[in-house]
Amino acid sequence: MDILLTALCLILAGGLLPLGLTRWFGCARIVHVLLLTAGCLTGLYGLFLLGQQAALPSVSWSWLQVFPLSLSLDSLAAAFLLPIFLVVPIIALYGYHYLEKGGHAWRTVVHLFFFSLLIVAMVLVTLADTLMAFALAWELMSLASFFLVIFDYEHEENQRAGILYLLFTQAGALLIFAAFGLLFQATGSFAFAHWAQAPHSIKLAAFFLALIGFGSKAGVFPLHIWLPHAHPAAPSHVSALMSGVMIKMGIYGMLRLYFLLDDPAPVLAQTVLGLGMVSGVLGVVHALGKHDIKRLLAYHSIENIGIILIGCGLGMLGIASGNRTMAAFGFAGGMLHVLNHALFKSLLFMGAGAILQQTGMRHLDQLGGLIKTMPITGRTFLAGSVAISGLPPLNGFVSEFLIYYAAFQGLQSRGLDALLAIAAILALAIIGGLATGCFTKVVGIVFLGEPRRQPATAVTEAGAAMRAAMLLLALACLLIGLWPEPCIRFAFHGLRDLGPLVAVTPEMIGALPGHLALAAWLFLGLLLVLTVLRHLGYRAKPVTQSTTWGCGFTRPTSRIQYTGTSYAQDMVAFHQPFVRVQTAATPITKIFPGPTAYASHVEDLAEIGLQRLLVRPVLLVVDKLRWIQHGHIQLYIGYIVLTIAVLLLVV
Amino acid sequence: MESVLSLGLALILAPLFPGIILKVKARFAGKQGPPLLIKYFTLAKLLRKGSVYSTSTSFVFRLGPLVACASALTVLPFFPFAGIAPLFAFPGDVVVLFYLLGLGRFFTIVAALDTGSPFEGMGAAREAFFATLAEAAIFAVLILFSRLNGSFSLAGYFSGPQSISIAGPQGALLLLVIVALFMVLLTENSRVPVDDPATHLELTMIHEVMILDHSGPDLALIELGAFYKLFFYAALVASLLKPVAPMGPVADTLLFYGLLTLVYVVIGITESITARLKMDLVPKYILTSFALAFFAIILTLEIA
Repeated sequence: MDILLTALCLILAGGLLPLGLTRWFGCARIVHVLLLTAGCLTGLYGLFLLGQQAALPSVSWSWLQVFPLSLSLDSLAAAFLLPIFLVVPIIALYGYHYLEKGGHAWRTVVHLFFFSLLIVAMVLVTLADTLMAFALAWELMSLASFFLVIFDYEHEENQRAGILYLLFTQAGALLIFAAFGLLFQATGSFAFAHWAQAPHSIKLAAFFLALIGFGSKAGVFPLHIWLPHAHPAAPSHVSALMSGVMIKMGIYGMLRLYFLLDDPAPVLAQTVLGLGMVSGVLGVVHALGKHDIKRLLAYHSIENIGIILIGCGLGMLGIASGNRTMAAFGFAGGMLHVLNHALFKSLLFMGAGAILQQTGMRHLDQLGGLIKTMPITGRTFLAGSVAISGLPPLNGFVSEFLIYYAAFQGLQSRGLDALLAIAAILALAIIGGLATGCFTKVVGIVFLGEPRRQPATAVTEAGAAMRAAMLLLALACLLIGLWPEPCIRFAFHGLRDLGPLVAVTPEMIGALPGHLALAAWLFLGLLLVLTVLRHLGYRAKPVTQSTTWGCGFTRPTSRIQYTGTSYAQDMVAFHQPFVRVQTAATPITKIFPGPTAYASHVEDLAEIGLQRLLVRPVLLVVDKLRWIQHGHIQLYIGYIVLTIAVLLLVV
Repeated sequence: MESVLSLGLALILAPLFPGIILKVKARFAGKQGPPLLIKYFTLAKLLRKGSVYSTSTSFVFRLGPLVACASALTVLPFFPFAGIAPLFAFPGDVVVLFYLLGLGRFFTIVAALDTGSPFEGMGAAREAFFATLAEAAIFAVLILFSRLNGSFSLAGYFSGPQSISIAGPQGALLLLVIVALFMVLLTENSRVPVDDPATHLELTMIHEVMILDHSGPDLALIELGAFYKLFFYAALVASLLKPVAPMGPVADTLLFYGLLTLVYVVIGITESITARLKMDLVPKYILTSFALAFFAIILTLEIA
């Protein structure tokens, strides 16, 4: 445990030292990156060492003489710590060249401090073993991330996005602490380990309350409303961190609570599975309709959280029905997808940040042809797109395969379980297809073809640190896809300390990683053979360059290319009752048409619903009570006296 | 040894069968039609030519045909042709194979978008949309196979003692699945009524328009990948159609290729007597095949 605490100190130092080195801005940033990397590598080393021990390491002390604070590392915590320690140094490396603006030195070093604070808070959330430790760490995480989101606070939409985010995290924290309060009252103990003794109805109530809270942090539909606003507002590396790692803390909280409560009720599994399927499909459909790259990626985070919840839901269903293989594969698939998503989503956000920095354009339909001017960004973004679509031989497929395997195990059950397994498989298939559609759109419109609008300054490749970070992540995605065995074993290792219902035997895993690797290498081998044959085939042949065939058009321009909106139009319109598409177009009326305009927006039903059902009624009621705040200070003192009198008399 | 021979036979014979479709269509039109070996001649002709590349394209355009052909080729060693055990098999290989075909589709689409032409964009958009629905239909069929058989690999479905075919105990149920699979075959392989492989009008194209700018050996790779993909889907339907129990490798292979010829003849007949659907009716067509497969699944469920 000391090793992990040392790692935390290193990371915190990486945030505090730059505050003193503001005058030497470049030096401050280098110190930050180096200390963060050192801290995370120490953390990884600590995880590796402590993971081989049989006993659970822990440390505890008491705060204010009343509240016990305790940190302990078990396999579930280790499974969620690994993505943090792996991805954070790479994001910090990216931030070195991304946050280069010299004029903002003070703002940037404060930002780096809150960055380190967020990492420390996330590690503490994973390690926390008592109510107070979890609560303190969770609040710290929410506040630190709020300050990170409002880095560009001059723009009003960023301010509003930040406040929306703060509201959602505080409301979520309220519900989580309410759930914990229920459990504390039922068992009388702050320690997590004693909560399994609570009565069944309290457990269910607490789980559902906490599910709303953790779900809003994770970005589950319909509680995801803050995500598509906060991610575009935040700087890209913060979006990468939040999307890749922080929203997984919601998943961690949900899983931790589920395994603490130890209640195999089927309704929990059905809820989680249902939420997962809805988030997955609706997340990707909304992503298809968006024009802003970062908003699109934010909706894809919602989709991948949906996939993780499908995996966890199938695992819970396996526990509820006693199907051990299904339980083990479901949870392992979910946890491996946590790691995989951290890798490829960070990669994609980094690419989006590079595009934004170089071209200054956010709207998808204005970009194009960037792979010629930004080759490394383009190639790594292509790799990230193939990974997030869940296509072999990259890593996204490995975790989806584990979840499919769990679902196919459930097909042999009877009744409702089989129906849920069928729904899960179909949902995964649809999500995969729609994700392919969305990412072919992004890659095709942004990087390929010709630029649809010329940017103000010439576009060059991103900075060296940014390129290095993206290359590292792309290589990690490829490596996990081609050599899945260590990661699959890691995912199953995460289930080690979670009780006998998810006990994993080596026969269960069997030769599965070897088979996946076989398929991947077979494909690569055939690709290589065909490349050689193609090279031989072209040896003495005439190869010339020309313009794209235009079917008789004599004056093609780059503006007649397909846009992202047209590409996704059919797919989004197909899902019409669940998304709302609004188009505004000026029609072409005369023989020689003048300038026209066309705009289309996809509106989020959850946001519309929240506005109509919650915000507007509350504002109406509160408006009626406006007369209480009239400004007379004498009457305000009167309110205080009245409250004190009531409290003294009644309580 | 049998597996290797069976695979080799499939690899060599796959370009023969699309010639059958062309012959059937020509006969329906009162013509003689091209020779049966036409596709081999086409491949040879393309290999003799060079290529013209568009200045708008990048390495993705050159990678597209390679990935498409490689993914179609990777699928074949896992398939038990004629009920003979395949070269490779493992539990869950169906998911890997259909996702590999999805990878081929991803790269075909981005290669199409690489040209910067609105025609290719049109085809790419349609392909991305219809493929999603076809995936749902295919997975519904796979769910049904798993429920019938308990196994989770192609070798388990079509080879061995519990192979699924209309000769087995659930034969009547499979008639729905055969129709559903046939409709998915027509969708995925750009056949009438979803797409017209013989036209070059952008309003009617899905697959043909995506490969407009490819030429020479690149086009040969794309055509070869298309032949293998069609062969894979037709082999799925033919394996289901098997009316008798396994007899022996040679007899089974002859029966299998006979049934395969029948499937291709039916494709040819369908292309001759149906008109291509309006584009906005294609989703309904694919969802019909999904509904048929789903209905077949419901017939296997007992709601406790």
